Amino acid sequence: MTFFHFMKDKALLLLANLIGMVLLFAFLRLTSYPLDDCVIILACWALVLLAWLPARFFPRKKYFAELEKIMEDLEQRYLLGELMPRSFRLEDELYRELICKSNKSVIERIHQIEDAQKEYREYVESWVHEIKAPITSIALACENAHDERGRRIAAENRRVENDVDMALYYARSNEVYKDYLIAETDLQEVCGEVLIKNKQFLIENHVRAEVDCPHHVFTDKKWITFIVGQLVLNGAKYRACEGACLYIFTEAAPRSVLLTVEDNGVGIKPEELSRIFEKGFTGSNGRKEGRATGMGLYLCQKLCRKLGIEIRVESEVGRGTRMVLEIPRSDFAAMP
Amino acid sequence: MHILIIEDEAAIRQELKQLLENSLYRVTAFEGFREETGAGSRQYDVVSEIMRVAPDLILLDVNLPGESGFDICKRLRAVSDVPLIFVTGRTDSMDELSGMLGGGDDYITKPFNPPILLAHIAAVLKRARKDKEGNGEKDGESVGGMRISYKDVELDVAGGFVRYQGKRADLSKNELKILYYLFCRRGEIVPRMDLVEYLWDNQVFIDDNALSVNVTRLRGKLADIGIHDFIGTKRGMGYRI
Repeated sequence: MTFFHFMKDKALLLLANLIGMVLLFAFLRLTSYPLDDCVIILACWALVLLAWLPARFFPRKKYFAELEKIMEDLEQRYLLGELMPRSFRLEDELYRELICKSNKSVIERIHQIEDAQKEYREYVESWVHEIKAPITSIALACENAHDERGRRIAAENRRVENDVDMALYYARSNEVYKDYLIAETDLQEVCGEVLIKNKQFLIENHVRAEVDCPHHVFTDKKWITFIVGQLVLNGAKYRACEGACLYIFTEAAPRSVLLTVEDNGVGIKPEELSRIFEKGFTGSNGRKEGRATGMGLYLCQKLCRKLGIEIRVESEVGRGTRMVLEIPRSDFAAMP
Repeated sequence: MHILIIEDEAAIRQELKQLLENSLYRVTAFEGFREETGAGSRQYDVVSEIMRVAPDLILLDVNLPGESGFDICKRLRAVSDVPLIFVTGRTDSMDELSGMLGGGDDYITKPFNPPILLAHIAAVLKRARKDKEGNGEKDGESVGGMRISYKDVELDVAGGFVRYQGKRADLSKNELKILYYLFCRRGEIVPRMDLVEYLWDNQVFIDDNALSVNVTRLRGKLADIGIHDFIGTKRGMGYRI
């Protein structure tokens, strides 16, 4: 609020005063008042008016500055009504009450939406847990059958499992902090499990893999397995026609362990590289393949952020793609 | 090795039983969960039942009707320290934590991959055996260190070599695994796909072509020490020794 704005706001009042002054002056002159007295009377009027303007402006300015400060300090801005300072002015009080009422309804609505979302999330989670029983028995039945058809069903079953997992992790991704167990994790074991889980799909598509991950890190095994799983599946999906190979290896950096999943597949176009982590982005490769949902890498990045892992990508069209996970190494955890 | 399955989902129980039996374990599974607990009448005591069966390892589902797996484990631990693996469809870490703190030796979530489950079982059994024997003995290795012979060809798994008429050839890790699997299914035609899957389950992630290369190299090594035509190729089907 500047003084100019204030004056503009009060323009009508000033105009009324001016008209009043002119009328009074005319009246006094017509009733043959001496000019000197008229000037003194008008000067008094003007003085009172001029004194009133700043006396009104500065407290207002202070009041709104205070409101803005409160607003800025407030994390949930819709709670402003509760914190607005009491004012002796009727108008301020009326506004305060209105804002309070409006805020209350916003809060109610938020609660409603939160409840609905929670309910939905809980339903998704329980559904995922239910669906896992049949997926497990299908996987076991395929393993026991040990024939060509069993293998095909197992590969498809694994896809179902992966999609179900994605749904679960998506539902949970906003609340990772409620669901992790940081422990020393053997990356060789993690990568081995990922490859074994997806072996039908990988073998069927003639993908070789080499794993060399001697490093241990402190992280949540379940989440990192999911993330590596997405990277491996991507590497296999966008494979080269001949001699597709995945190299998974770790390197130690001063303050972290770098886990790299490298393929020799089709690669990602440079102009698409920056967008691959976006939700729903499928890219030209994904559209060609027709199976992309644009969710895998989006979830990976989201989960990585929550786990403090940095995920990076390097790629060259026709040469392959490297996905690097930088897993921080905590000095704290390494202390005896 | 005797494994006890406590799982209320009949389909999983049955397939799991078969899987473990195929892997040459002796398996007992508790039957009829819903009926007993649903009626609430015959409350047979799970723990004393476990003690009666006296298994070497227990696969325990967490979500059972009536008493949960964690509770069973807690009561069981008061009387026995038999190796125990929790199997559950729930995947939150609180569950995992309570499983580990509650006395489980391992924790597997559904849908588990069968080979991974088998690997976990083998690892827990091995650990239990080592604990029992103390750490001085390296006896746990002797099971893996067995020698198998077939048609005068002797395969030393721990040493990683084959012996034939006094001559020996050292094998690479991959060749050893291939030959070991063929030895395990001697006389049978082993489909190439079975062999590739077996290798993947054992941390060798190669494709069909690489398998051919490895088998050719293996044949060469065998020929060097005078073993000819040991590994036969059935075109379009697989290998046979």
